[in-house]
Amino acid sequence: MQTDELLINMGPVHPSTHGVLRFKLRMDGEIIKDCQLVLGYLHRGTEKLGEMKTYQQVLPYTDRLDYISAFPNNYCYVKAIEELAGIEVPLRAEYIRVLVMELNRIVNHIVSIGSLLMDLGAATMIMWGFREREKALQLFEMLCGARMTFNYIKPGGVREDLPEGFIPKLNEFLEEMEMRIKDYEQLINSNEIFLMRMNGIGVISAKDAINHGLTGPTLRGSGVNHDLRKLEPYSIYHDLDFKACSRPEGDSYARYMVRIDEMWESLHILRQVVDTMPEAKVISTSKYGVAPMTGVPSTVSTYFPRIFTPPAGEVYTRIEAPKGELGFYIASDGSTKPYRVKIRSPSFCNLTALSGMVKGLKIPDLIAAFGTMDIVLGDVDR
Amino acid sequence: MNAAEELKKALPDAVTKIGMQCNKPEATVKKEDLLDAAAKAQELGFDQLSVITGVDYEDRVEVIYNLFSYENKHNLVLKVILDHDNPEVDSLTTLWKGADWLERETYDLVGIKFTGHPNLTRILLPEGWNGHPLRKDYDMETEQFVTIGEDGDDVVSTDGSNLLRRK
Amino acid sequence: MTNAYELIINILTALGVYDMILDMFKPSGTEFVLKLIIVVIELAVLFAFVLVTVMFLTWMERKVVAMVQSRYGPMVTGPRGLLQPVMDGVKLIGKEDIVPAKADKFVFNLAPYLAFVPALLVFIPLPFGESLIISDLRVGLLYIIAISALTPISILLAGWASNNKYTLMGAMRAVAQDISYTIPLALAAITVVMFTGSLSTVDIVSAQSGTWFGIIPKWFIFIQPLGFLLFLIASIAEMGRIPFDFQESESELVAGFFTEYSGMKFAMYFLAEYAHLFAVSGILVTIFLGGWNGPVLPGIPVVITSLVYFLLKTYAVVFFAMWLRDTVPRMRIDQLLNIGWKIMIPLALLNLLVTGFLITAGVI
Repeated sequence: MQTDELLINMGPVHPSTHGVLRFKLRMDGEIIKDCQLVLGYLHRGTEKLGEMKTYQQVLPYTDRLDYISAFPNNYCYVKAIEELAGIEVPLRAEYIRVLVMELNRIVNHIVSIGSLLMDLGAATMIMWGFREREKALQLFEMLCGARMTFNYIKPGGVREDLPEGFIPKLNEFLEEMEMRIKDYEQLINSNEIFLMRMNGIGVISAKDAINHGLTGPTLRGSGVNHDLRKLEPYSIYHDLDFKACSRPEGDSYARYMVRIDEMWESLHILRQVVDTMPEAKVISTSKYGVAPMTGVPSTVSTYFPRIFTPPAGEVYTRIEAPKGELGFYIASDGSTKPYRVKIRSPSFCNLTALSGMVKGLKIPDLIAAFGTMDIVLGDVDR
Repeated sequence: MNAAEELKKALPDAVTKIGMQCNKPEATVKKEDLLDAAAKAQELGFDQLSVITGVDYEDRVEVIYNLFSYENKHNLVLKVILDHDNPEVDSLTTLWKGADWLERETYDLVGIKFTGHPNLTRILLPEGWNGHPLRKDYDMETEQFVTIGEDGDDVVSTDGSNLLRRK
Repeated sequence: MTNAYELIINILTALGVYDMILDMFKPSGTEFVLKLIIVVIELAVLFAFVLVTVMFLTWMERKVVAMVQSRYGPMVTGPRGLLQPVMDGVKLIGKEDIVPAKADKFVFNLAPYLAFVPALLVFIPLPFGESLIISDLRVGLLYIIAISALTPISILLAGWASNNKYTLMGAMRAVAQDISYTIPLALAAITVVMFTGSLSTVDIVSAQSGTWFGIIPKWFIFIQPLGFLLFLIASIAEMGRIPFDFQESESELVAGFFTEYSGMKFAMYFLAEYAHLFAVSGILVTIFLGGWNGPVLPGIPVVITSLVYFLLKTYAVVFFAMWLRDTVPRMRIDQLLNIGWKIMIPLALLNLLVTGFLITAGVI
């Protein structure tokens, strides 16, 4: 019998490509022979825009990269500037930064797990997840008036101190979240069909994962216990007690479980941050540092020079964003605008491994493996 | 001794200059010797290629490789300086599979050719796009229009002729 | 009284108008016209009932999903959103009816009707209550299985005619799934037939009347628990619902075989899907859950109580299917086929064998 290969074009408009990604699949019946990815449908030229704006003006664009978790984007860009110019940050500001970033990590993992389950056909999880995410977004809104594009972390600190009533609401959220994560685990973890769909699907070995440049939960699902918060502790992470979560199996289920574990760790970190957050006024003496402003009741600097010219030089900074390693390379020529901004986005680099992972699997497995990679197309295409 | 000095000691001819990229040791490598230097760095334990950055400095083009060693928790920056008009350097895809897309992206946006790359095509922009946007001499005035042709490939034009669909 | 036709005549007689009407036809020798009229009325009532049920089911589905997911669901149109299905229908009728340029137009237009008609035909030998049955076919059960096996033909036609890769894959999956699940479905149903000795649905229901020890109803689920489980799983696969909704599986195949359909033809598939859901639940109730049997309430005609019992049980099964949909993810097509051929069919055969032995030995 004569058979022929089937060419399928999945996307850019397709229910489970998490945006506008396009798979070019060569299929033998239901089995994937070859999978090519076509990107760029959401390319907005953020790096070029970065060269044309002043340092402060670039900041809002970073919100739009990974729009599910914008705080780490903000922070990484700001951290690059701070390293470049040697800006010191008040301790309380660092606490607030870690607080919002960890909160954002929980939000990110909720969305990630929810959309994974949605792709598998169980719509309940995403609705449950969005119920909790809504509460977190309300906290963000309380903090900076925005729910997704925050523009909150500024060079030299954060835009404003925590508003009144934020900490009690956060504590409420943490308490509820603890219950909810248990709910999620009950709904998903021991579900036989879920296990059938996840176990042994999209396996990538530890060596391959590192070689492909995978980072974040996607890497740690392969048994590599590397977390930049541990390897190169930035901000106040060296003072916090937490562990990097990893699973040895390297399949989709391991990647999913790492995310669940990380949510627990984030809750743990948030508790510590809330408990140990310093109240005292912190004054920095560096050039761009915190000016002790009179009349500002908070302890967080809002002072940053309007015309900011960092010294010429290059810097590459990376942090552990929820999706993996997020890096900003900034080359400065001493003017008010960055000479070059390069974004190393976790989604883009993690996606490299996908086509190798799914060879020989079926379309439903492609969806499952892709779902556990946790991609946001705004981050891939930039 | 930091990683750049170690690399200099191992390959004295290939490394022309060592310095710091902010707080990370940086070794400037001759472009012919990049593959050797990178292989040496991998031997030294630098198992992660974090990012590849291309920067257009008008008189030259620099490509910067940020490496990281998960074992020793060390950073190393490799830098090669290329000719501005015809930037060409060896591809590292044989050493790191993750270099594939990073190099394609650098080719796409900065216009650096990576010799030995298995599939050096544009990745973010459609095939047929004119110019490389992150070049400083990129023409920002000319608008370019993209549509999808009959066979599913992208069609780019500068006058919008491909936007009209008449039968 | 054995079926709805006689029921109508009885009611007319009781009202004292039957003879009067009959006299109108007798002189011209056209009594068959009266018969036809009554049959048409029956079918119209059935059709209306199915349509209303389907509309209610779409509303119920959304409400159940919303309840599980801690939402409200439709709330705006009508009280608690009850009129939402009407608005959906109006919207779908108002939509442009698109036929893809490269589709096989005749087959493409035909397929939705082929899906809807069998979904209606299944209701004919379904006993809604004491004597509430259109026709008590002697091969009722066989008829039901045969008619529901027609659905994949329509799906295959739709998938093929649309000239789209997604629809074709959805259609191929649907056919593979239907073939592998009709067999355990039939095998599970046969065990019941071994008890009743009849394929007639009415006989099956009446065999389940009465109780053991005055408490446990004599439903076949208690004699055939394994058969019931197999039938339940197979019938959910037949309905094409999560976890077995491969023919659509929107996250993989966009919308499966009806990707290209819009407007009224899409609505046809929608109607067929829910009619099928209700019909299969009704069959499950008829075969395993005692049909319309239930405690007799004094003072209320059996016709009414039996209808209520039947609807209650059927809606319980429907609710179960909806609940399942909200809880579990979708399986993979090869996993489903594996389970169908390697586990369910051997189990069904074993069940058949054991049941046969037990019946011959006189144990049950």
